[in-house]
Amino acid sequence: MNCNELREYYELFAIGVAEEPERSEIRAHLNRKCEVCMAGVKKALEMAAMVGSAADAAQPSSKLRQRILASAGVETRGFRWTPVWAMATALSLAGAVYFGIQARRDAGETQRIRAEMGLQNDEMRAQGAEITRLTEAFAILNGPDTKEAAFGGARPRPPRGKVFLNPTQGVLLIASNLPPAPLGKLYEMWVIPRGGRPVAAGMFQSQPDGSAMHVRRGAVDVESTNAVAVTVENQAGADQPTSEPLIVAAVPSGASPR
Amino acid sequence: MLLPILLAIQAIRGDRDLIERLQRRDPQALAELYDRFGRLVYSLILRVVRDTAIAEDLVQETFLRVWNRSQGLDAERGSVGPWLLAVARNRAIDYLRSAAGRERNAVEFEETDHPALFCDMEPDILRSDKTRRVRAAMEKLAPNYREVMHLAYFEGLSQSEMAKRMGQPLGTVKTWVRTALKSLRDELGVAVTS
Repeated sequence: MNCNELREYYELFAIGVAEEPERSEIRAHLNRKCEVCMAGVKKALEMAAMVGSAADAAQPSSKLRQRILASAGVETRGFRWTPVWAMATALSLAGAVYFGIQARRDAGETQRIRAEMGLQNDEMRAQGAEITRLTEAFAILNGPDTKEAAFGGARPRPPRGKVFLNPTQGVLLIASNLPPAPLGKLYEMWVIPRGGRPVAAGMFQSQPDGSAMHVRRGAVDVESTNAVAVTVENQAGADQPTSEPLIVAAVPSGASPR
Repeated sequence: MLLPILLAIQAIRGDRDLIERLQRRDPQALAELYDRFGRLVYSLILRVVRDTAIAEDLVQETFLRVWNRSQGLDAERGSVGPWLLAVARNRAIDYLRSAAGRERNAVEFEETDHPALFCDMEPDILRSDKTRRVRAAMEKLAPNYREVMHLAYFEGLSQSEMAKRMGQPLGTVKTWVRTALKSLRDELGVAVTS
């Protein structure tokens, strides 16, 4: 098809509803840097951006900015500790919570964990984004309808740990013996529905000591979830896994919550 | 008369400076990018996914993606705002389609992630007065046209999926989509196919 025939499809292409063969034709023209089609699609994308900007104004939480900057490795003003120290403390607390939950049937242990958590409380107040993350982790861990799944237990070489899934709070992953992803790479968590494609559930990095905690907030259909997996991906993230999973936690079907 | 021109020049300079700093991995550039567009990105994503927690996660993914891919932008001519919004919409639609077990329209998603297409755009298209005009133009659309625009843009449905959802013949829906787009284009004075 020539550019003249494709003109009327630029806008459909820009908003994602062009059909075949026009979609592939426009793509081919763009791939060969066709000036006419490049200009037309740019104009169409401009209008698409304008439509997007017309969504009703909403205000994100005040913590989101700090969370984004922290996840990009940018230290924010007013943050007293280095991100490494903050993360180490967060993971230390998460570890305490995790192992505390495991041992909470033991009354003495529970008391000890409570005491530890109490000591950590003051420090948590100073940690901005990290406290949010920990609150989310608490909410998932303590949810009465949280379901858990272990991974790596039978393997001679970890990573090993657990995932916790709560239908309203989200998914929490706690791992150990997970070496930091190589330069330019990060770990990406995936929630895999039964009979469906993996759904990206956020990226994270592990600590030098191999510990990691990652929270994916928001509702999750626990009953239809088959597994939670982790792969190594480029920093920008992937829409679908591009490598073999390092972690696969099979979620038991129909099992009652913890 | 001079004010819009001055604002446009300022916007171009602002974009150029911001893109250069993003490409140099200047941490403050990411903060500035968020300060300029964070609310807009969040509003768009929230409109699509309708869940504040998921919206914030996707806003984070959007900014990290742009932070990590800014090298592809043309610092002289790049339009960072429209690109950011396209990435945001892609992330949100992608989430919606994955969560619903629907196939992704991978071709468009890859194209709109591609920063090279986002250059030489009008420098002030995301200004608030323009945004108001777009809202007014959307409001003026007949209900069926408005609905197809909503289903296409904010729910990421294909024309076939729209026809099924609306219980209308595919040909009718295609006509509605085209008419809706033309009405918007006329109303906003965007010469897309010229």
